[in-house]
Amino acid sequence: MTTTASPPAAFRAAAPPGVRTTTRRGEHVACGVLMAPFFALLVTVFLVPVGTAVWLSFFASDEPGLGFGPEHTIFVGLRSYAAVLTDPTFLGALGTVVLYCLIYLPLMVVVALALALLLDSGAARLRSWVQLGLFLPHAVPGIIAALIWLYLYTPGISPVVALLGKADLTVDFLGVHAVLPSIVNIALWSNLGYNMVIFYSALQAVPREVIEAAVVDGAGPVRTALRIKTPLVRSSVVMVALFTLIWSLQLFTEPMLLSQSTSMISSRFSPSMYIYDAAFTRNNYGLAAAASVILLACTIALSYGVTRWTNRAPRELSR
Amino acid sequence: MPGRLSRRSLLAASVAVPLVGMGSSCSRPGGQPSSGSSGRIRLTFWSALRGSKQVVDAFNRTQDRIQVVFQQIPSGDQGGYAKLSNAARAGNAPDVATLEYPQVPGFAIDGVARDITALLSDRLRAKLLPQALGLTTFDNKVFTVPLDVEPMVLHYRTDLFAQYGLAVPRSWDEFAAVARTVRDRAPGRRLALFPTNGALQFAAFAWQAGAQWFDTRGGVWNVSLADEATRRVAAYWQQLFDENLIFANASPGRQSDAEISQGLILVRLSGAWDAGAQMTSQPGLKGRWAIAPLPQWDPARPVVGTHGGSTFAVTKDSAHPEAAMEFIEWQVSSPDALRARLSSGTSSQYPADPALVAVGRDAFNRSYYSGQDIYQLFETEAGKIRDGWVWGPRMTATQRVLQDGFARASGGEGTLLDAVRAAQSATMPDLAALGLATSEHGT
Repeated sequence: MTTTASPPAAFRAAAPPGVRTTTRRGEHVACGVLMAPFFALLVTVFLVPVGTAVWLSFFASDEPGLGFGPEHTIFVGLRSYAAVLTDPTFLGALGTVVLYCLIYLPLMVVVALALALLLDSGAARLRSWVQLGLFLPHAVPGIIAALIWLYLYTPGISPVVALLGKADLTVDFLGVHAVLPSIVNIALWSNLGYNMVIFYSALQAVPREVIEAAVVDGAGPVRTALRIKTPLVRSSVVMVALFTLIWSLQLFTEPMLLSQSTSMISSRFSPSMYIYDAAFTRNNYGLAAAASVILLACTIALSYGVTRWTNRAPRELSR
Repeated sequence: MPGRLSRRSLLAASVAVPLVGMGSSCSRPGGQPSSGSSGRIRLTFWSALRGSKQVVDAFNRTQDRIQVVFQQIPSGDQGGYAKLSNAARAGNAPDVATLEYPQVPGFAIDGVARDITALLSDRLRAKLLPQALGLTTFDNKVFTVPLDVEPMVLHYRTDLFAQYGLAVPRSWDEFAAVARTVRDRAPGRRLALFPTNGALQFAAFAWQAGAQWFDTRGGVWNVSLADEATRRVAAYWQQLFDENLIFANASPGRQSDAEISQGLILVRLSGAWDAGAQMTSQPGLKGRWAIAPLPQWDPARPVVGTHGGSTFAVTKDSAHPEAAMEFIEWQVSSPDALRARLSSGTSSQYPADPALVAVGRDAFNRSYYSGQDIYQLFETEAGKIRDGWVWGPRMTATQRVLQDGFARASGGEGTLLDAVRAAQSATMPDLAALGLATSEHGT
């Protein structure tokens, strides 16, 4: 290994300084060219919109008092933030999304991991068919998925509700208490297969020697799955949890579509719906921008928290 | 060459036809200074009201100084108001826009609807019903001109009332008593429907009971959605809920259509315009409905609120506000305008200019209501509209939060009063975020 590596190193060291700088400059250019698209996109689709939102959130067109009269765009400082944070409907929307995460996140991670472990253990036959079947819903756009489920949930047209009705079961999927689980169900259906594939490919990378060693040591298939394989795909679990969390905080499409059909989903059901309502019903871009910045801050804080927590855990384990 | 020419003229013709019909949808929706080729002042007009195109055509025929270009837009809650806000933000709102009463203060505060106090002629001011004009006047400034004003009335099934031996309730106490009789005598039927998406009907009930959700005394927006009168109204309907005397679901909608067509409800409580709307939506029930005054809290001193009705605004972007005002004045006060509007289909709208009532009455086919002169009733009821009601600066949002609460209450989660309180607490931050001076009262 070392012998094969040394000649180029020796050659590089022996090369005249001019060649070395051009090589390094070439590396820099290549690096720049390769990174440019990323930074261009980062600036145009992330930094500029975030900057605009922050800017918008500090301004409003105002006419004090009753508000009738010519308007002037003025700096209002944190007024919009104060309005958002004192709005019980925004706090309610945050509460809804937290509840949603508490149901959805563990369910998603556990079920996806369980399915991946089942597939990996060879317990499931027709492995690729199962994988395809579970993955296909992910190819359906979220809006179509919501429409399909809306059809399945709506009493009167849904075959599922009709079937349950024949068995003397009245289930109102869009009722006061069922509506959040119904949304969780749509999200699970859409994303389960995708996350399962991530876990499955991570499991494929687990060295077979380790599993063989576990089997030799007398671990059964369940024990192998839980004590050997699961800890080894930990980083994938963290990644899936993080992505699912970020995705969940932006909950919008499903409730927005279902709200057409049930009055149990309010116009400010989730933070994203609150933002939409602030911008287009209440016609207050400053308020919408402030709510967006608050949601972004919550997302960043939670993501950071999750990353920190999961990075600390292994150190504690190793102690 | 001839072939190319004819093709071009054909193209021109095919482009021109939709342009005439659709207004300047693809060319220039705005109200920048412009004059037609013939030297006429060009105005753009946006409305979701049926019959607007006929009115515009009639106006363009009657004079040759102003050319109005009409564009049909979606109704307010279907995106029409968002479209208007966005156009105003971009500086190209139409010269004349249509606003419903609850949205007038919002668009006035946003600077979309122009202060037209100085443009409103004394002649027009004298013609309009003062209660209607009062609803579009804020801080002594007039922002829009009312087209119609719609007192709340009681629509009822004459055949079913006769079948169960019921008398038309004159007070809300009688209404509750009749509701109990219907529940006991007619299984599956209920006297009425509480629309869970009917914040505006509920507002009209509160208005009648003496509530004052908003007022502008002292240069401050005083908000008191849960005032004493509203609490009484909320408790009354909650009682009807709890005793299972009424249905509670969305209306209009599939379910409420079925409830009406199958005769499951005996009464509807809505604005005068709804008489005509029902003729169109439920033609099969001809001869079975009649209209009566809304039940009262105190039959000795009858008052009502309104439900529905539209107004016209001159926007800030209009380059010809005087011409725009002339068009509006013609729309709301000319018999020809109302005739043109009614030519597009049945309507029982009650004009804000009482001089036009005769036109509406003549055009109205009375057979659906068994010959009843409903305009006579509307005229009496319009006189009972309680003066002094003020809509709030963000009524669409207030309304939605209220309806979210109604829907939950109908599902057994919370009460109607909770809904009212939630609407108030959600409205306050909205007003604060607009920089308005506010004061919160009574909970």
